[in-house]
Amino acid sequence: MGADSKTNRWLTAALLTPTSLWFLFLLILPLIVILVFSFGERAAVGGYAGGFTLEHYANLPSRLKAFQNTLIIAPVGTLLALLVAYPLAYYLAVRVSRRYKLILLVLVIVPFWTSLLVRTYAWIFILGGRGIPTLLEFIGIEGVRLINTPGAVLVGIVYGYLPLMVFPIFVSLEKLDKSLLEASSDLGGSPYKTFTQITLPLSMPGVATGCMLVFILLMGEFLIPAFLGGGKVFFIGNALVDLFLQSRNWPFGAAVSVTLVVIMLITVTLYMRMTLRGNTGRDESLM
Amino acid sequence: MRIYAIAVFLFLYVPIGIIVLFSFNAGRHASELRGLSIQWYGKALSNPFVADAFFNSLIVALSVAVLSSLMGTAAALALQRLKGTVRVLFDGLIYISVMIPGIVIGIATLVALVTVFDFLNPLLASIWPEGAKPPKLSMGYASVIAAHTLFTMSIVIILVRARIAGMDRALIEASMDLYATPWRTFYQVTLPQIYPAILAGFLLSFTFSFDDFIIAFFVAGANTTLPIYIFSSIRRGITPEVNAIGTMVLAVSLCLLMTAQFSLRARTNR
Repeated sequence: MGADSKTNRWLTAALLTPTSLWFLFLLILPLIVILVFSFGERAAVGGYAGGFTLEHYANLPSRLKAFQNTLIIAPVGTLLALLVAYPLAYYLAVRVSRRYKLILLVLVIVPFWTSLLVRTYAWIFILGGRGIPTLLEFIGIEGVRLINTPGAVLVGIVYGYLPLMVFPIFVSLEKLDKSLLEASSDLGGSPYKTFTQITLPLSMPGVATGCMLVFILLMGEFLIPAFLGGGKVFFIGNALVDLFLQSRNWPFGAAVSVTLVVIMLITVTLYMRMTLRGNTGRDESLM
Repeated sequence: MRIYAIAVFLFLYVPIGIIVLFSFNAGRHASELRGLSIQWYGKALSNPFVADAFFNSLIVALSVAVLSSLMGTAAALALQRLKGTVRVLFDGLIYISVMIPGIVIGIATLVALVTVFDFLNPLLASIWPEGAKPPKLSMGYASVIAAHTLFTMSIVIILVRARIAGMDRALIEASMDLYATPWRTFYQVTLPQIYPAILAGFLLSFTFSFDDFIIAFFVAGANTTLPIYIFSSIRRGITPEVNAIGTMVLAVSLCLLMTAQFSLRARTNR
């Protein structure tokens, strides 16, 4: 090494420079600016004027509804997505033969990487006046309203984030040693007992990762409530779009964003504590 | 079990199928299917706003993909040589940039850039030569590209690093032992091995950027991208034309995703 290691160090630094600049100017600095703004005054024309005040944080209850909706619907949606995803992940990991496993898994994940915008607006169609309600009228059930309800938002959530939930659970179930299942049934364990005592506990890391990923993304969700909640069921994300782009109350918007990030950080930390090693399948789950 | 799986797959794909089906609607109303035709594709493609938005999306997505795969690969290569605090710091930053919701990235970038522009614009105007029109910095391509790249760059780092971890070190050592220069070792040994991951990262970055709505919504300025166009048209009411555009957007990302899958598959088969 010797003389080499000095050039090496320079090379490493050079390779990391663009990424570091990006992190500094587009992640760290903007987050600091938001923090500073949240304590500032609102300028007369909107935007920001300097100063130090806590009034925006004191004002948070005026957007209480958005926080309430988000903090109720996001966990419920996460749970629903888990309930729908788990059997599918189990089926793919344990029951399907090797030949079809990968192709079926790809079929689950692909929708996640296509436009959430287009996929969500398909549900405006399905749940809207001429969709399912019209079909229900044919069989005599009238006056059903589906769109612009919390239910519609939940359907959109499960639909949009199902792939993200299936994948980590699949990974943890796939890693599970199948001989444990055989051992359990050889020892007379009922299928139910085998599931609750072996399969479920061993797949918990995947469940935790999936729930965390979905929950965090849901906390910042904008599109699904905007399309399927129709102004009645709105999230913090919708409040933020309103504050920054329509009413241009930036300092208050900044205070709302800071609160959102803080809530997320607390949740993630609690999750990490609870699951100890919550990162199983995290890196892979992006693909 | 099997029936359940089929039901979930239907749940995932029927809505996509409906969009595609209704994009071929011959009728004028979005929700009534009256025969099939491709007239709405013609309408969509000849609409100058759609063409503009499509062109903007393409420029942004291509730049994002090129930038992120270059920077991400460089960073991944550097990070494998590092240990200790710097590495932990970078791991944390990568983690945060992937996990943070798009809306927060959008807002933070908007606020930070506006602040910087408000500071720089008068400064530029004051040092600019008399008579010439000073440049006015504002939101546009660069801000969207920069904000998207924050996320996609981290995705590339994660993918390439996973590939480096699975790489055969013996080949690199052999190459060094045979007196290949470091550059040549990189070009002839390392690069061919990590190439599938870089390609997959490139395609995913493109797809992400092409489909992203929320970040672009905040920082695109006057440059409407395709998702922003679709969003505002839906606000005015769903037309078969929107379905046609939506179908095309889905088709673009599906093609790229399949390519990405194949290139990642190539990596596991070797």
